[in-house]
Amino acid sequence: MDDEIKKRIRSGDILSGFRLWLTYADPLENPNWFDRFILFVSRLAMLLTAVAVAITFYEVVLRYLFGRPTLWVNELTLWLGSVIFLLAGVYAMQRRAHIRITAVYDLLSPRLKLACDVISAAVVVAYAALMIFASYRIAWHTLVTWERFGTFWNPPIPATIKPLVLIATACAAIQAVSNLAVDGPKLLRRNSSHDKGE
Amino acid sequence: MDVGTLSLLLLIGIFVLLVIGVPLGFATGLLGAIVIFGNFGVPGLGLVMQRVYDLSITYAIIAVPLFIVMASLLERSGIARDMYDALNITLGKMRGGVAIVTTVMAVIMAAMSGIIGGEIVLLGLVALPQMLRLGYNKNLAIGTICAGGSLGTMIPPSVVLIIFGLITETSITALFTAAFIPGFMLAASYIGYIVVRTRLDPSLAPLPKADDIAGAGIAVDHAGRLSELAYNLAPVAVGLVVALVARQLGAGGTEQVASFIFSSAPVGLVLVFLLRNDDRHPIAKGLLPPLIVVDLVLGSIYGGVTGITEAAAMGVVATLLLITIRREFNLVMLFEGLEQTFRSVGTILWVTFGATVLAGAYSLSGGNAYVADLMLNLDIAPIGLILIMMVIFLILGMFMDWIGIVLLTMPVFMPIVVKLGYDPVWFGILFSVNMQVAFLTPPFGSAAFYLKSVTPPEIDLITIYRSFGPFICLQLAVLALLLLFPEISLFLVR
Repeated sequence: MDDEIKKRIRSGDILSGFRLWLTYADPLENPNWFDRFILFVSRLAMLLTAVAVAITFYEVVLRYLFGRPTLWVNELTLWLGSVIFLLAGVYAMQRRAHIRITAVYDLLSPRLKLACDVISAAVVVAYAALMIFASYRIAWHTLVTWERFGTFWNPPIPATIKPLVLIATACAAIQAVSNLAVDGPKLLRRNSSHDKGE
Repeated sequence: MDVGTLSLLLLIGIFVLLVIGVPLGFATGLLGAIVIFGNFGVPGLGLVMQRVYDLSITYAIIAVPLFIVMASLLERSGIARDMYDALNITLGKMRGGVAIVTTVMAVIMAAMSGIIGGEIVLLGLVALPQMLRLGYNKNLAIGTICAGGSLGTMIPPSVVLIIFGLITETSITALFTAAFIPGFMLAASYIGYIVVRTRLDPSLAPLPKADDIAGAGIAVDHAGRLSELAYNLAPVAVGLVVALVARQLGAGGTEQVASFIFSSAPVGLVLVFLLRNDDRHPIAKGLLPPLIVVDLVLGSIYGGVTGITEAAAMGVVATLLLITIRREFNLVMLFEGLEQTFRSVGTILWVTFGATVLAGAYSLSGGNAYVADLMLNLDIAPIGLILIMMVIFLILGMFMDWIGIVLLTMPVFMPIVVKLGYDPVWFGILFSVNMQVAFLTPPFGSAAFYLKSVTPPEIDLITIYRSFGPFICLQLAVLALLLLFPEISLFLVR
């Protein structure tokens, strides 16, 4: 985390430190507007984990100490969880953290690496395209009819999460292309310096 | 296209995509989508979103981020370091003591966290420098840290078992209960190995000089050490017994009694420790906080009091409370912990998304039934088939993360295991012991990479991998025992 943010939070200026944390883009070099957007959304979504902990604990206390279980905690946690899971994947894409096997990749020349990166991004885009092409009508339908969960509390989980599945997958695909636009030129530059070295 | 050709093409497709470095979750997702499209056309493709949606609204997975938050907060606090100091005072003066301390600490930390990584890094920062300074054999020190640190995914709560349970629709609580004894068998085998090795060759682990360990003046003779050890570990044993009794009673239907006993266990622990919290026993201060967290989380799961997710939430709150009491809490730590969690959750979950799409597509196309027939028609004894699966896990484990293995193999293997009449819980335990081996086997044993990130430069990856040999043998021995005697895993479940 950025030192400036740490300093502000430690010195008690929590609000400005927090604002800075929401928007700062340190681990990325030259972030574009999309990077910044995803980063902002991710920082907000990270906080949802804390919310999920808090309300689940609240439920445990109410249920076991007071014998008054709530109707809403379980389903709200379910909703929070799915939002976290979906958005976290986009963030993992931005941080290049998705699990991949780099055994062979690491041995390749920069130019072949670039070719592999292009294929990787194409796979991500194709996956997202197939999913969205097949399901955008269903997702739109659950959204406009505000489809609910069918329980007593009846939260609109399908209405919000089904479209979010598509949005998050689309964002992951855009992020993959954006990563390629950043990493590709770097590989090419290393390639040319590599040639000069020989 | 017949199922055989499809299976072969899929295998080749996955292999090619993985080798060139395509992220696993998207490679499997795309292949799954193509298989569905090929067999069922555009209408079938709706399955892709549906599978992802269904998985993302599964209540039990929410335990994964919660356990990771808990682990990342613990890593950032001084709790682990204090625990290490406390254990060191008790055990550090024995022959090989620091290595034993490292293993014991790894077990306690494993009972608080469900992932691999943080624990190894932490032990690498705390225990490795001390062992090297005392002149311990480098291989013994490194092997102990990595083998012990990997226990995080074996001893409950374990993210490996949670994901295994979700994918195979096995009870996670049953898996946690069954993993208890095998996890301790692994730890015990490491400790036994350390004791025997250092007795046979004392030069591997020189005794510390008198002033090397804080808290000098406590018992140093053999009998004194043993009684001290028993004295200090007794409450832990009592706590475990109480939790198990509570579970048995809970199974008998007297749930209120069970939860009463369960909730009194931490109180009892606190009292026992407070009564003897004098200067002679700084162990109380170091061991009490982690044991309370362990008792709370595992006690409520084993006691049948709450579900996994709720137990995890209580664990996070308890950890935050402890950190606040220690005056270590700050928002920087919280934000960093949340960030680390968010990233790990994204990687774990999206691999799961992709794999669930592929698994769904393959099974709808008749692939699972095909492979099951194929394997069942082989003229091999059932246990032989299980052995083949173990070998496949071990080979895959050299190249792949546990999550990829569980997601790619289980949809195919599990129906076979069930058809052969074996208990899925038992198979889950075998699988997670296999993954313990996978963390250590080159070229991609992740334990080595985690340790490398914090070791001095003269310790290279080759040295690290070389020190794993004896520990891998121990793991395989435990695996063989569990294979031959399923009751070891299962008797607590029944």
